[in-house]
Amino acid sequence: MEERLRRTMMFVPGNNAGMVKDAGIYGADSIMFDLEDSVSMAEKDAARMLVYQALQTQDYGDSELVVRVNGIDTPFFKNDVFAMVKAGIQVVRLPKVESAQMMLDLVKVVEEAENKFGIEPGTTHVMAAIESAKGVLNAPEIAASTDRMIGLALSAEDYTTDMKTHRYPDGAELEFARNMILHAARAAGIAAFDTVFTNMNDIEGFKRETEHIHELGFDGKSLVNPRQIDWVNKIYEPTKKEIENALDVEAAIEEAHQKGSGVISMNGQMVDRPVVLRAQRVIRLAKASNLINEEGEYIEK
Amino acid sequence: MDVKKTALAGTLESSDIQITLSQGNNGISIDLDSSVEELYGDQIRKVITDTLTAYGIDNANVKAVDKGALDCVIKARTMAAAQRALDTADQPDWEVF
Amino acid sequence: MQVREINIHLKRNFTKWQKFLQFNGIQIFSESETASIDKTFVWEENGDILATGSIAGNVLKYIAICSKIQGHGETFNSLVSKLENEAAILGRFHLFVFTKPQYIQSFQYVGFHELARVEQGAILESGTPNIHDYISSLPHFDNQNSSKVAGIVMNANPFTKGHRYLVETASNENDHVYIFVVSEDVSIFSFTERYELVKAGTADLPNVTVVPGKEYMVSYATFPAYFLKDDQNVGRFQASLDGTLFKNQIAKPLNITRRYLGKEPYSKTTDVYNEELTRVLPPDVEVKIIDRKQTEDQNIISATKVRAAIANDNITLVEKYVPNTTLEFIKNNWSELRTRLKEGSIK
Repeated sequence: MEERLRRTMMFVPGNNAGMVKDAGIYGADSIMFDLEDSVSMAEKDAARMLVYQALQTQDYGDSELVVRVNGIDTPFFKNDVFAMVKAGIQVVRLPKVESAQMMLDLVKVVEEAENKFGIEPGTTHVMAAIESAKGVLNAPEIAASTDRMIGLALSAEDYTTDMKTHRYPDGAELEFARNMILHAARAAGIAAFDTVFTNMNDIEGFKRETEHIHELGFDGKSLVNPRQIDWVNKIYEPTKKEIENALDVEAAIEEAHQKGSGVISMNGQMVDRPVVLRAQRVIRLAKASNLINEEGEYIEK
Repeated sequence: MDVKKTALAGTLESSDIQITLSQGNNGISIDLDSSVEELYGDQIRKVITDTLTAYGIDNANVKAVDKGALDCVIKARTMAAAQRALDTADQPDWEVF
Repeated sequence: MQVREINIHLKRNFTKWQKFLQFNGIQIFSESETASIDKTFVWEENGDILATGSIAGNVLKYIAICSKIQGHGETFNSLVSKLENEAAILGRFHLFVFTKPQYIQSFQYVGFHELARVEQGAILESGTPNIHDYISSLPHFDNQNSSKVAGIVMNANPFTKGHRYLVETASNENDHVYIFVVSEDVSIFSFTERYELVKAGTADLPNVTVVPGKEYMVSYATFPAYFLKDDQNVGRFQASLDGTLFKNQIAKPLNITRRYLGKEPYSKTTDVYNEELTRVLPPDVEVKIIDRKQTEDQNIISATKVRAAIANDNITLVEKYVPNTTLEFIKNNWSELRTRLKEGSIK
């Protein structure tokens, strides 16, 4: 599966015409149109139609397009999935996932929709939001449930309620869930997204939390406000040293190719696979942050 | 086809349009309230009429309060109002989507 | 900003809501204003109310937005929109607002149409069916615009010989007479009963047309006035708004140039009402105040007395006040009416 940057996944309330229209202008790596919690019961039909029509006509640039459908046990679920698959959505995000079976049930409906609307089978991806103790404990099987999986996301609001606690500034209440989800995702080779940070007035708190999950190894964070995108990207920017090292690795790979050698070496040391993968990721990040020019050199800011 | 009951969809927020559909007996009659009426009035009416026609609705009074909605929003709101007015909000008409 | 519904019947919610409104210039929270509220929504940030609005029947009321917040207009639009969507869920598509004159434009900007305005406030409507639908639903006559047309608004709870006398007078003095029967179902006699009794009691007068007053001729005393500075002049405000609405929206398109009123010797409220109409309606609409009809023994006839006689089980007295058409109905429903009077309202 294509490896891509997923630093920022921006929530867009599915029934808000202005926000749905403008979602593409902020440069989020992923845009998540929400048909679930941000839409009242009476507006589920209208939000579904609005997101559908917007997906048909609006240009969202290079952003990965995700939709959060209503839960599998709601009367809206099937219509949501059908409409979004028909609209050609890239990823369907299922909320409140507690087992691999739920993902398989989702995939069944996705397949049905792909067949019905003539969408190439297998092209619609899925991801799971983990929002309960059970979901966290089953994260490994959920992460590995289907080939269509692209990621796991932690949703802290419901999770902390399930755990009989709430959010605290130090995030200790989420430590286990974060690590569990991250390990499950890494073991399955998919992405891990951290939860949203809702207090827009606490900018320091947001940055602290983002630095923490960056350190743990998360791909990125779910966001509720476009202002947060730049802050996340800043934290995910590689350092000059990392970039220069990655460029060296890239040069070594190139050199090995030229020589027709299967062994990549740098400074007299063999370069193994994890180092290559990390270098590729750093270069992707550096390019996204405009830190490398067209010649492939580091730009001093 | 006539609408079964009065229905409203959309909002008055910017970039949106609020559509109210009610029974009529004079074809599709649209009362449009828009600050861009002069420039885009005809286009807005056309999107509404085409969408209603796609649902087979040929008699209805439409009240539309436009706040600068794009065509895709006008279509989506008209669809929502139409399905609600036909009492089929929970059975999306995939042909019209 | 997040929106949620609150229950203002809980003391703690009410107090917070009231404090916000008071801070934003709304001072009247009388039972008559707040009792009708079905749903109240608040827009909050970090626990503080920044905006609020309520639905009371088909009226949007107690709308206020904190003057300090940014994007005032956008918040106003979201607020009205939310209330309209919630009203739609309740099946209400025809809505009214009563507001200070300086907010008329804001409501017009979101599709409301002004029905009447006086110095202290205005009434606007939105949705369907509207005033134009109402007017075109009424019977019209040949040469209406060159005829002498009169209007009477009555509650007729029930239709008495006094009402009959008023109608007869108007019928004799004009080419056509419209009788608008107040549509609200708050009287002892239901709207349908009152309406049918007025029709039956005037059936012999070919130039009299009986029509329902719908939302445009409700009991004016129910007009919201919570946004006035104080409750001193509520009655006058309500009466003048009611009169202006009648003059501009009803009389004008129907070419009604006379309005007949019964003289009110008993009630101060009705007296104020007649006084305000006399101030507001002319010169477009001439006001004719007709003396009350009396019984043979010099007793002024009124519907209040009829209801009292029913309550007192005095059919002989009822006979003196009402025409045969009404009498027959009362006789046939004697015990039911007495039960309603005891319980204070129709079922």
